[in-house]
Amino acid sequence: MYNIRLACRVFIAGFILLLSSVAVESAMPCHHLDGHECDLVPVMRPVAAFYTFEMGSSELVDTYLTPLRYSGWTTGIGYDRWQAMEFDPDRWSMNLKANFQLDRTSNMVGNADMWYFGARFSWGMYRRWRMPYGIMAGIGGRMSADFGCLYASRNGNNPASAKAAVTVDAGGYIAHRFGNIFGKMVDLRYVTSVPLTGCFFSPDYGELYYEIYLGNHSGLAHWAWWGNYFRWNNLACADIHFGNTVVSVGYRCNVLSTEVNHITSRILSHSFVFGLGGEWISVSPGRKLSPEAKMVSALY
Amino acid sequence: MKLLRIAVLLPILLFSVSCHDIQDWADDPEGNFDALWTILDEHYCFFEEKGVNWDAVYAKYRPQIVPEMTQRQLFAVCAAMLDELRDGHTNLSSAFNTSYYTKWWSDYPQDYNERLVEQYYFNFRLNHVGAATYGILPENIGYFRYPSFSVALGEGNVDHILAHMIVCNGIIIDIRDNGGGDMTNVEALAARFIRERTLAGYISHKTGPGHGDFSKPYAYYYEPAGGGHLLWRKPVVVLTNRSTFSAANNFVSIMKYVPDVYIVGATTGGGSGMPFSSEIPCGWGVRFSACSILDCMGNTTEFGISPSEGCAVGLDPLAALDGRDTMLDFAVSILAGGK
Repeated sequence: MYNIRLACRVFIAGFILLLSSVAVESAMPCHHLDGHECDLVPVMRPVAAFYTFEMGSSELVDTYLTPLRYSGWTTGIGYDRWQAMEFDPDRWSMNLKANFQLDRTSNMVGNADMWYFGARFSWGMYRRWRMPYGIMAGIGGRMSADFGCLYASRNGNNPASAKAAVTVDAGGYIAHRFGNIFGKMVDLRYVTSVPLTGCFFSPDYGELYYEIYLGNHSGLAHWAWWGNYFRWNNLACADIHFGNTVVSVGYRCNVLSTEVNHITSRILSHSFVFGLGGEWISVSPGRKLSPEAKMVSALY
Repeated sequence: MKLLRIAVLLPILLFSVSCHDIQDWADDPEGNFDALWTILDEHYCFFEEKGVNWDAVYAKYRPQIVPEMTQRQLFAVCAAMLDELRDGHTNLSSAFNTSYYTKWWSDYPQDYNERLVEQYYFNFRLNHVGAATYGILPENIGYFRYPSFSVALGEGNVDHILAHMIVCNGIIIDIRDNGGGDMTNVEALAARFIRERTLAGYISHKTGPGHGDFSKPYAYYYEPAGGGHLLWRKPVVVLTNRSTFSAANNFVSIMKYVPDVYIVGATTGGGSGMPFSSEIPCGWGVRFSACSILDCMGNTTEFGISPSEGCAVGLDPLAALDGRDTMLDFAVSILAGGK
């Protein structure tokens, strides 16, 4: 069973790399999304920024702390920023994310708690295509840094399991803009990312953090691949426009599953997402906006 | 359209291969017993030193598990199984009981009576700092009692204690009945008596679930206390009994190799395995030795540390009736130059 999973992971990793290589062709000079060569029209690149609050359910497992599954609630806040890239705004956009997550869970019988606090920072670029039916799709790469800690309140010498990783991710999104639903403009988008490789922290199987404190730092960093480090972040949401303000409502599912040094860890969360945001443009004082300027949205 | 298909299929494929396997046990007597046995099987660190055949232990106790047994009956079988490890660091904790293996100290004389010292040697006039007490004996010997390494002593507190005893010819550190605590407190106290960077011992952890999967022992060192804190350079006696255990045992293992330090009393209780915590499906907590600490010679101290040569002495119960602590008297005689 494990070999089948392993083979699937390798296959998918290769597949994503193949898709990423397709994106390289976009390094050729400027084309519009419809394939026409671009004119020398001033381009405005508004920033789409969202501040989000999330709440939902969580499942935590870390065999360094306990072999049991813990379940409970999760909450979090986030910042999500999109902007078309200056060098080729029609085809490339960038995305910056920062998320903070707090989970509180209990074991099956409810007599012990486990907490998780995590922070994630990620930046990426997407090559995007306009698909049929007005769908916009993008595929690209990201750089991510994740930090966190699981804390099992009942444990003595092994109360915590630290998480830290720096990864190169593959990411993608699909978005569609509906003109008018109940008098409001509504955008639907789905954004996902999975790490391809990187490095992450883990103590050895029975190693106490006290030993690390004493100075034994060997074997703490591990090369990440899908066999030992798998993270999958998903967000599906609807952006509803109220004038210049955008209200986002949606669903997020994040999975982190690691297995190294015979330690298995899993952080799984399902959240309802509520966000506030909008698109804005930074304009230099004294510099007029050209009436011919073209607005290039980062997402649609 | 192709990309759209990929976008739909890829998440489905990813979801099917995403997570690593996690073993689950049922919350019934069999599941809980098997979980407990497996946790110990994969993490306990002294099977080989103690000659415990854990598979044979399973074969002995597993047949006693039946689906209809009560929680207390299950607890009794599990506790008996853990006792096979002969380990004071191994406990099973439920809402109604906590199991302890006691023979590591209950088969030995206690060799300590707190009131005997406080009443007949200090007339209840010891100084108190946190959990510690101290005073000066008539022979101009300092007496410092530290009952638990679970309670930290502030650096300033230790400075005051040592400054109070600065006129003394030596100091007795009484850690009888000290059941251990935090290793950082061991380091903080030992740092007052070592004279240079000192090899404190080695630590070795498990690298996998096999009984022989251990890391190469890692040498760790302690530095003398800096920052203007007082250091003790005169002779020291560390008073021990069988209930000197765990972190206190570790303190003894370090002090034993410090110049001008004598270990006086009885062999310590051992407990050199740093305990890990875990739990089984019914919510009972389990604690067990998971990480072996060796002394600076690379020897295990799990079975206790013997006193310095010629310094083994017990508490004479008859003398105690006359208000004499023969172990403390022996320690005083060493520091006063009588031995």
